[in-house]
Amino acid sequence: MKDAVKRLNDEYRFNLSEQEIDLVAKQAEQAALLFQPLFEVDVTGITPLEKIDKRLKNKPTFKRGKK
Amino acid sequence: MKVLDLEGLTITTIASLIRKKQISPLELTRRYLDRIKELNPVLNAYLAITEEGAVAAARRAEREISKGKYRGPLHGIPFSIKDNIATKGVTTTAGSKILSDWVPDIDATVVERLKEAGAVILGKTNMHEWAKGSNSINPFYGTSRNPWDKTRIPGGSSGGAAVAVAASLCLAALGTDSAGSVRNPASLCGTVGLKPTYGRVSCFGGVEGTGGYTVNHFGILTKTVEDCALVLRQIAGHDPKDPLSSDEPVPDYTKRSRIPVKGMKVGIIKGYFDECLTGDVRRAFQDALRVLRSLGMKIQDITIPHMDLVPALHAGSSRPEANSDLDQYLRTRPRDFSPGLLYSLIAGLLIPAPVYVTAQRVRRLLCQEFDAAFESVQGIVAPTLFSAAPTIEDCQRGYIEADGKRINLQDRAGNFLTRYTIPFNVTGLPTISICCGFSSSSLPIGMQISAPPFQEGTLFRMAHAYERAAGWYKRKPPL
Repeated sequence: MKDAVKRLNDEYRFNLSEQEIDLVAKQAEQAALLFQPLFEVDVTGITPLEKIDKRLKNKPTFKRGKK
Repeated sequence: MKVLDLEGLTITTIASLIRKKQISPLELTRRYLDRIKELNPVLNAYLAITEEGAVAAARRAEREISKGKYRGPLHGIPFSIKDNIATKGVTTTAGSKILSDWVPDIDATVVERLKEAGAVILGKTNMHEWAKGSNSINPFYGTSRNPWDKTRIPGGSSGGAAVAVAASLCLAALGTDSAGSVRNPASLCGTVGLKPTYGRVSCFGGVEGTGGYTVNHFGILTKTVEDCALVLRQIAGHDPKDPLSSDEPVPDYTKRSRIPVKGMKVGIIKGYFDECLTGDVRRAFQDALRVLRSLGMKIQDITIPHMDLVPALHAGSSRPEANSDLDQYLRTRPRDFSPGLLYSLIAGLLIPAPVYVTAQRVRRLLCQEFDAAFESVQGIVAPTLFSAAPTIEDCQRGYIEADGKRINLQDRAGNFLTRYTIPFNVTGLPTISICCGFSSSSLPIGMQISAPPFQEGTLFRMAHAYERAAGWYKRKPPL
């Protein structure tokens, strides 16, 4: 993760110190751990949420492989 | 003309007096402006006071009403607007250094709609930098102070808005809520705070980068539930300028809020809302449930299987969205963000696209689980926060001590001050926070009530019944 932060530091010209790079890398690592369980959920056939609307609420979600 | 006790005023009580010409909108506005001048140096609720515009609007209201052209219950009513909502000709900073001198040439749709109703805009309220936090400790504009105890935070990011309502520096405030930014400060300052259904209120004119797209909502802070219902009726409805706004009809919420609640069922989600709950909040919440039961409501446990994923869903949605909006400033003015926010935004750049898309897919599952729960209950109740207002010092050191325990305000799953509010941002469900008691240190405590999409009327009905039965809204901060 530290290398990824360094790449961003160069691209965006943040001029981060080594200490700041470590801090951001640590935050990014923690976030990656937080997101891990999302990939353990079976989302087969579930389309992304885009808009909450009563009219759409009861429509079935698209099921992959079913016609 | 009547003598005005600003601390005891609500929109509902004063609107009829304005209509009957027993109260002058100009006099009312001047009284609020005087009170702001007296208290704002201490409370730091307002960043800009729009005295000239407010007096002109009040004068116009007075002229119209005297000619019999009464526009409705918001005519002549003084409002404040959070500083990430565009106001034509008035600086809109979003609590940031980067926008410190930005003057929009448009009004946000909500501001337009308030002006159409004859409301008076008193000024722009202080907030957490870019609305990215919930303590309103702002390095560029100073910290808004909680009127119940000035050593404490008011919450945020709409901290100034909640302070302005609680301290009677306006009758109602508009804020924004992408993680709890209306409900959190409402809870900590003892006001009502509504986050409507996603799409119920147009977000056109919100400063980009202060809320993302799929979790952000414009909301309302008032002293009472009835006042909140009046304001929602005026600002809700489809807006062609906001393609995400809904064309669902807007009902008369005030009438609905007065229907008795006997026989209504509310659910409690076990587990998620118990984490680190302080004794004060637990007691206040249990007492509130007793009041709901005494009103004839039934309370039952409900299950939301993927509830524990809410922090990941929220972060996986809101952080990439905020990053996409703020990218130009990250490239050109990175050091004009406060260091803490800059680090968080840079870390946000490292969130992979599959996280964002997967989060949206799991969000749909979560919404379906909430829909299923709403088949057996009409509302969900939960504490708004795990504790009453922390001190400014607590926030600076990063933890509070309660019941002999140390509770970190930030953990791996994000900001703990918004842990209880974010479920209703990722699901877009309408949710209201109302005062449900006071801590042993005499600080307000909030309870949330949530309902199915576009059922704000149901929310108001339950919240109004509780508010009248419990009577906490009558308490005033010691100013």
